Amino acid sequence: MTPPAPHSDFALECQGITKQFGGLIAVNDVSLHVPKGDIVGLVGPNGAGKSTLFACISGLLRHEHGTVFLNGNDVTKVSPQKRARKGMARTFQQPQLFSGLTVREHVVLAHRLRFESRRLWTDMIGPSSLRKPPTSETEAVNRIIELLEIQDLAGLPVSSLPLGSTRLVEVARALACAPEILLLDEPLSGLDVNESEQLARALQRVVKESDHGLSMLFVEHDVATVLSLSDTIYVLDFGQLIASGTPEEIRSSDVVRAAYLGDEIVSTKEGDE
Amino acid sequence: MIQYMIAGLVLGGIYAIASSGLVVTYESSGILNFAFGSMAYFIARLYYFLETEHHFGIILSAVLSLFVAAPVLGIALYYALFQHLRLSSSLVKVVATLGLSVALPALATLIFGTASILTAPGLAPQPVRVFNVGGVPVTLDQIIVYICVILTVVIGGLVLRFSEVGLRVRAMVDSPAMTDLSGTNPRRVSVGVWAVSSFFAGLAGVLGAPIIGLDTQHFTLLIAAAFAAVVAARLRSLPIAVLTSLAMGVATSLIQYWLPSSSPWTSRCITAVPFAFIAVFLIYSLIRRRDLSDSTKVGSALDAAIQPHGQGVLASPEAAMLDSSMGFLARYGGAIGFTVLFLVLPLLISGVWSSLLVQAYAFGIIFLAFTLVIGEGGMIWLCQISFAGIGALWTGQLATNYHWPVLLAVVAGGLIVLPIGLLVGMITIRLGGLYVALITLTFALLVENLYFTMGRFTNGGLGVNILRPTFAGSDRAFTYVCLVVFGIIALFVVNLRRSTTGMALDAVRSTEQGARTLGISVVQMKVVIAGLAALVAGIGGGMLAVAQTSAQPVNWSTFLGVVWLAVLVSVGIRSAIAALIAGVLFAMLPQLAVTYLPSSLSELPTILFGLGAIGVAKFPQGTVEQNGENFRRFLLRQARRRQGNAELLSVGTEGAAS
Repeated sequence: MTPPAPHSDFALECQGITKQFGGLIAVNDVSLHVPKGDIVGLVGPNGAGKSTLFACISGLLRHEHGTVFLNGNDVTKVSPQKRARKGMARTFQQPQLFSGLTVREHVVLAHRLRFESRRLWTDMIGPSSLRKPPTSETEAVNRIIELLEIQDLAGLPVSSLPLGSTRLVEVARALACAPEILLLDEPLSGLDVNESEQLARALQRVVKESDHGLSMLFVEHDVATVLSLSDTIYVLDFGQLIASGTPEEIRSSDVVRAAYLGDEIVSTKEGDE
Repeated sequence: MIQYMIAGLVLGGIYAIASSGLVVTYESSGILNFAFGSMAYFIARLYYFLETEHHFGIILSAVLSLFVAAPVLGIALYYALFQHLRLSSSLVKVVATLGLSVALPALATLIFGTASILTAPGLAPQPVRVFNVGGVPVTLDQIIVYICVILTVVIGGLVLRFSEVGLRVRAMVDSPAMTDLSGTNPRRVSVGVWAVSSFFAGLAGVLGAPIIGLDTQHFTLLIAAAFAAVVAARLRSLPIAVLTSLAMGVATSLIQYWLPSSSPWTSRCITAVPFAFIAVFLIYSLIRRRDLSDSTKVGSALDAAIQPHGQGVLASPEAAMLDSSMGFLARYGGAIGFTVLFLVLPLLISGVWSSLLVQAYAFGIIFLAFTLVIGEGGMIWLCQISFAGIGALWTGQLATNYHWPVLLAVVAGGLIVLPIGLLVGMITIRLGGLYVALITLTFALLVENLYFTMGRFTNGGLGVNILRPTFAGSDRAFTYVCLVVFGIIALFVVNLRRSTTGMALDAVRSTEQGARTLGISVVQMKVVIAGLAALVAGIGGGMLAVAQTSAQPVNWSTFLGVVWLAVLVSVGIRSAIAALIAGVLFAMLPQLAVTYLPSSLSELPTILFGLGAIGVAKFPQGTVEQNGENFRRFLLRQARRRQGNAELLSVGTEGAAS
């Protein structure tokens, strides 16, 4: 059977992704899509296959079956670095920062890789590192640092930062790539209440104010945040998609209630009422 | 032929004991002990000292060396070094154990003397009895090896796999913290493992000495074979390590059976055996798409969490402010001071010191290749000396035999090495740090024994003489030529580090996943830096050969490359000026020792080089950066004190006013 054609309005579309580790099926025939300009949440208990699915989408893991489309283009066999250059950025559950760089340098590097990728090689032989960076770069970098309110950390090496701050740096680095689709793997875990609210606000604002239609797919354990931020939510359990829909639909889904959300969704709903 | 196979199984058995010792310590502590061969040599030399030189008798000598000295050595090294390495980076682990491998043989020479040993006895009484088994003569030494292999490998393997002690040992590698919480003292387990591993090393040494000879160079073949077995075992599988070891022993013996002993190709093929096994393993892994990327992960999240984190006081906002406010002199004073010193030094010295200084600066150029590939690229390559050697030998060929202008020959030597560097880079690109170290070490041994022994390079043991360029014929003039070449490459390295390329390299070193999802091609970055490093090593090798006015293959032994790395890392692997300081230390210290110390202490510089590399366990960034950091700490403390005084003063003034 021929798979359905990709939808041109979707920033990201996955069709029938299956990933096996030996005898274990970590992700089983999962399909999802992220419309342009939308925030889509992905929830599921530990071991549901969320991070594996993220790794497949970003190209770090090769899946056995299924197709990944980025802006309508098939990127299934494209390397992670090429996906990044085509507008896909991601963060990790365990932040993957560059230990020798400062916070600002993370943002600068990401910005240059996206907008001046030739500098990756030309800088090696030229004296560009001695010159002042162009104003456009400085402004773009400052804007992102201010958006995430990490100005005080900008000059610090990331190895000195607590977990919460490293998550903010990872998001800043991802945003500096000016992505069209941003994949966030548990961005709020390890953040205190203030930091969580600060990051959630920043994410909403960046999607809203994006001039190139930024979309976002994020995994999060904090159900209340997922329900409040997302336009659409997908629920995974044991590697399978068990539900999808708007926050209201997920809230009222018996399958989700029974299989995963349990008391937490009830209390959230009661709280809202 | 059966006789050869029996002899091969004996050799393979010794390899098996060595590889088992390596796998057991890796399995329990995450450290691949590159000093295993040196430990084996040290204990074997002690056994010879007791048994042959002081007539203690076989049993007493064996008990003292294998059951007392070997475990004590293992335990002492655990407390002094290995316990600090558990959660260190692969580079620190490799370099610290390599440092030990440099220091131990030199220490053995210091203690036991420099007498060359032609034949070493085994554990069987002399003359060795020969038994006739099914028409095949088998010596008592061979029977003892078989018994030891069965006792250590089989029983050791069973204990590790099925006993409670084995369970505790295996739990250690997953998480010492969790092992501790579950009621087992991880320190006691580690001490036991290192004592046993050291016993294995001693046993392999004592059993191997009669076969391979009691000489540090010969022990490198033993360790190369053991490393090949460990690579094939993917660092962890004891049965595969043992089987590969036995297969290598038999293969070595069959080569001796098939090829005439007078042919130079016999010894060449024998040295190529470990590399051939590694090549087969790599091809098999490539076909089966086996993951060889993350082999060095040791310890759980809990272990990482309870480790001291961050850079403490130097990573504070105050430190960042201090950094930005530091004046030009405070920031670059050290580098400027050393540069001025290295500029005027050739004018201040003469005679033998002058001829050493010209070599020192050429060493500085070669060391920049290490700075590039290890410091910037994060790849633990142990074959830079082979690249430098190829550059040097081809410089000799082109300049002398083909009459090229000598400096052009140096550049051509570098360009010849470039594609080899790219090739090695592409082969090892997807492998984890330890695999890269092991494979490049074996590659270096292969080049040393297979390529550098070719007649065109050895020239009957004379090497090839090289004339310096006419405009820089004197030591002093050529010292400045070396300094100019060093300066150009050093500026390139410094610029690279500050540039976007340098930031991207930092990304690749820190986390390949993070780098790739940011759009950086890890393969491209690593291959380019590997090629550049090979080019620099080739040019440096050529410059050194010209400085020495001779291209001699014996000057490029793999073991010497390990000493180079030890010296450089202890000074600083990420600093260009450190490369030159290391070059000066390496070239000058031995002569200083010869001139000013009694001849019995002539090995002291080598011991110091080794100890310096061991010190990397405590100061991973080397002495240059460490001292720079200490200076920053001092400035920060001063700034805080001044701030504190100012606050006190203002409080006092306010108090007086009110």
